[in-house]
Amino acid sequence: MELKVEALKCTGCRICEFACNYHHDDSISPIGSSMMFYQEEKKNYYGMMVKRAKTLYLGRPEGEQILQPGEQIEGASASAKPILLRIACDGCGEEENGPVCIQACPYAVLSMEGE
Amino acid sequence: METMNNYNGIILIVDLESKECETEDLSEELLEKALGGAAVNMELYEQYKDRDPLILGSGFFTATFMPFACAGVITGKSPVTGTVAHVPFGWQTGVELKLTGFDFVVILGKSDNPVRLWLHDGLSDIDDSSDIWGRDTWESTDKIREAYGDEMIQTFLIGKAGENRVLSAQVSENYWGSRDKAGLGAVFGEKNIKAIAMRGLGALEVAEGFFQKCVELKNEIINGTIKGKAGLKDIAADLGMDSDIIEKLKSMTHRNNASFNCPYPYYTFLKYREAPDAMAMDGEPEPGCLVSDLSGFASLQSAGLDGPRAMEKCCRLGLDPTSAGMILKKQGASNLEALDKLAETGHDKAEAATCWDIENNNEKEISQTAGAFSAAVPPKGIFANQEESAQWWIHRQALSYVLGLDPIIMLMVPEMTDEKIVEFVQVSAEWDEFSLDDLKRITAELIEKSK
Repeated sequence: MELKVEALKCTGCRICEFACNYHHDDSISPIGSSMMFYQEEKKNYYGMMVKRAKTLYLGRPEGEQILQPGEQIEGASASAKPILLRIACDGCGEEENGPVCIQACPYAVLSMEGE
Repeated sequence: METMNNYNGIILIVDLESKECETEDLSEELLEKALGGAAVNMELYEQYKDRDPLILGSGFFTATFMPFACAGVITGKSPVTGTVAHVPFGWQTGVELKLTGFDFVVILGKSDNPVRLWLHDGLSDIDDSSDIWGRDTWESTDKIREAYGDEMIQTFLIGKAGENRVLSAQVSENYWGSRDKAGLGAVFGEKNIKAIAMRGLGALEVAEGFFQKCVELKNEIINGTIKGKAGLKDIAADLGMDSDIIEKLKSMTHRNNASFNCPYPYYTFLKYREAPDAMAMDGEPEPGCLVSDLSGFASLQSAGLDGPRAMEKCCRLGLDPTSAGMILKKQGASNLEALDKLAETGHDKAEAATCWDIENNNEKEISQTAGAFSAAVPPKGIFANQEESAQWWIHRQALSYVLGLDPIIMLMVPEMTDEKIVEFVQVSAEWDEFSLDDLKRITAELIEKSK
């Protein structure tokens, strides 16, 4: 099962990033999250990146994209590069109520898909 | 009491005259007395009153999982009223302030040259800002992000209106203006502060069980009175605003955005240099403007200006659009150049005493008894609480300013009761003794001291 982002439902509230960090680190912060919000603020262009075990998933307004190791992140600034160093999404397997990012999101942007 | 679950425990004191920064501990005693946000700001304001302080404060819940805990407050002496004013900020700035590692920032005195304050990862620098003095807020935000190498930096800054210390100058959050109707932009200008830039990757401790309680409350809220509603257009319709305003908002909306952790997205991005439904990254570099100030938008429209473009102009200049629209309407000047002139030369008196052209009796009483709170917030309940009094509004605003809850969403959600707030304070701070009487005392004192 992998996390999926419906970017056009997203409002940029970023609580998913913080919830993910809480799952990994028991604290409130975006720094240890497997997800990262990225944006071009003046264009109101934004989406969510998810570090998966072997790939990088981009939930973009134009549609989703999956990058293999070494591929460039188009449309994400240098601020988004640290996602590559983050711990991969583990699907919150041990969480009683399912992935914490899905629980925290007020807009039903996130879901799990696949086997 | 475990005071530090929601806080870093640090107050930053910035002396603009000596160019020195030092830190103090955020004491347990101060939190017990005032809890956070504007109430702590007031304590600090009184402590440093003889040095013309400007205080940035984060709320008790700011940056936590508490629904709509996005807000912070700037407190200072308003040049418009001559008394203290609290300006709530939201978007991502409230969260970013707390994540810098500083819960409260006290700015004292006046610099002899243009400076910006750079707060990041528990560090504070007072940097020369002559490179962006004279530039508008859009250029300045870009330059600051470029200079410090991070596009997620959040800013408070002023444009030409603030540099020229005109009464309707406002502090802007990034590119997009703010709820400053108190002229604090002119206070920034007077102190020679062009900007405060913030970036933090700090971490706050969380009490066990707090996350799940917040998720349950969030679910109640999204299935309550706000269900199915979004954007400024639905707020404008609920307030009974002019149909032209509602239609303009509807026809130009690109996406509705939310501040940190907010279940209602009322920051509305209006596109007018490309199709509103254009979603791709390429295209116009500056396709429109993010609008969150309905009274400002309506005021500019009422002056005969094109609301979206005039909002952009006000944001760039760092002008309060409500006051600017009223002044231009009186002058009969319905062109964007008149806004440039206003930011250059100012005017005798800011026009912001009553700014909501809606049917409601609360506005006058609020401005007379709680004028320290931002008039950018509609003076009545939204979607719910329609018949509530001015005293109800003042209490709800005081709660939001202390706790760091969005002051507009606070008017929409009956699910967020005083009793629930007490329960969440108890759980998040592991502070069982905190009571409803404590909450009422803190908000009442804030209202009284802010008169």
